[in-house]
Amino acid sequence: MNNYDKKNIPVTIILSIFAVVFILPLLYALYTSFLKLSDIDKLVGIQHWTLESYLRFWKDPNYDIPRWFMNTVIMTLITVAGNVVINSMAGYALAKLKFPGKTLVFFIIVATMTIPYQVVLIPVYVTMAKLNWLNTMASLTVPYLYQCLFVFMMKQFFQSIPNELLEAARIDGLSKIGIFSRIMLPLSKPGIISMIILNFTSTWNAYLVPSTMTSNSKSYVLIVGLNSVKDQFFDRTNVIMAGVVLITLPVILLFLIFQRHYIEGVATSGLKG
Amino acid sequence: MVSGQIKPIRKVHKTGKESDTLIGLFFIFPFIALWFIWFFLPFMQSFIRSFQDANFISLEDAKFIGLTNYINILKDPEFHSALLHSVIIVAVSVPAITILSLLIALAVNQNIMAKGLFRTIYVVPYITSPIAAATVFMVLFRKDNLMAKAMSVFGFPNTTWFSDVNLALFFVIILFVWWQVGFFVIIYLAGLQDVPKELYEAATVDGAGTFRRFLNITVPSLKPVTFFVVTVVTIYAFQIYDQVAAISRYGVLGQPAGRTTTIITYFIQHGIRYMEIGYGCAAVVIFTLIILAVTFIQKILIGKED
Repeated sequence: MNNYDKKNIPVTIILSIFAVVFILPLLYALYTSFLKLSDIDKLVGIQHWTLESYLRFWKDPNYDIPRWFMNTVIMTLITVAGNVVINSMAGYALAKLKFPGKTLVFFIIVATMTIPYQVVLIPVYVTMAKLNWLNTMASLTVPYLYQCLFVFMMKQFFQSIPNELLEAARIDGLSKIGIFSRIMLPLSKPGIISMIILNFTSTWNAYLVPSTMTSNSKSYVLIVGLNSVKDQFFDRTNVIMAGVVLITLPVILLFLIFQRHYIEGVATSGLKG
Repeated sequence: MVSGQIKPIRKVHKTGKESDTLIGLFFIFPFIALWFIWFFLPFMQSFIRSFQDANFISLEDAKFIGLTNYINILKDPEFHSALLHSVIIVAVSVPAITILSLLIALAVNQNIMAKGLFRTIYVVPYITSPIAAATVFMVLFRKDNLMAKAMSVFGFPNTTWFSDVNLALFFVIILFVWWQVGFFVIIYLAGLQDVPKELYEAATVDGAGTFRRFLNITVPSLKPVTFFVVTVVTIYAFQIYDQVAAISRYGVLGQPAGRTTTIITYFIQHGIRYMEIGYGCAAVVIFTLIILAVTFIQKILIGKED
């Protein structure tokens, strides 16, 4: 297996140096999160490491961090569930079903993807205020239960499933809804997983919308909370780094497990144009 | 006529077709309903409000004031510096991200050890939250800390970057480039798989060296991808927000001393923080027009290519 090009060794070395620079901030956060305050910015052996910073962060008396964590989990789960159902339904309709105004829906999707989302932020904020939805889970999830990019992605996936297969299923007595749940969804598993990973990551990491819609610290999600407390924590670098690791770890783990799906998702959705 | 002959056959299937249409509508409805309420209506409102003196407290009394908001924005020196900062972010990060992601993708695409590991390392920053990443960078770039010291070797002052009026914007750009490169590495890697291998083989037979092959095959083959990357980075760079919000302390966006304001922070500051709905909407419409102009220019240039 060791037949790598010899002349690629310099490339590998440069790539390695660069990779270290790239990953350094994350390694620094991980390392520092295990240190005692007195050990910060020193190199100490693993026997001096401690999980104290994590406990300090999680049980901070001034902020309800477990609650922020739960808010984040709930926001992400609702959003991802909504996206899976609504985007794949719409994708199926566009790929395989007939309905009036199909061309218009295509136009809507392409136009919406071209327009930056920020343009609707102020009116959405005003609507949320009128509905008394600010600082509630509804303001963080309801408008984001669908995404045009993913509808498009799912449509592409469903289109690649041959019509003969659907015809055979129909002859076997499956309804359109049965075809959707028993044939289309199972066959599009790679596409759905890609959508879940992409959507999970961007929702978990979201800042613009949650920071706009929540002003009460009880309704904060982790990212908004982190941004509001980090300045006060700066003299306790180990604690704030533990916070960074806690927030980042779920998405990084998910990425490492489903890396192939993530990368394929980015590549296909990115190169749609 | 042919159509006349087909008509009766169509009628036979009509009942089946109608239920088809119903099922189609059933499947598309949730998407269209949400889109209409949470995108189309607010989009129209943004447009209409931008011509009103709408204020959050007295929305019902909003009066039509024509282009006044637009004129005031275009005359506002704060908007000028926000626009300038956005343009600087675009001007620096577009070449930086394009070149870095191309070079990294090319290197990772070689026959080297631990390809997968390298790819993972370069993509991981993009997975992390910009706010969490900013928190780490803010620690590293504080006076006497690791990166502040390391950068002083290259002639930068050993200072706290994000609170230094001359370095804060550059700090935001570093964060943005670090975070975004991985995404475009993926795009370039996907693009590289489409370059026909035979081209390289033929060129090697003809005696072309690595550099000539890069210049004569790789670069031209990747032209459409590069085009895409440049446009998308431009749009993303105009939309930068999290990194700026991260270094803005005490609730005022664009710290220190307004040196990191952007078009986005400008419209959020006015439209949401100051609750000047009409004014904020006008700012966001201007922003949208800039983004659409970038997209439009890309479409024209691509059209010319074909």
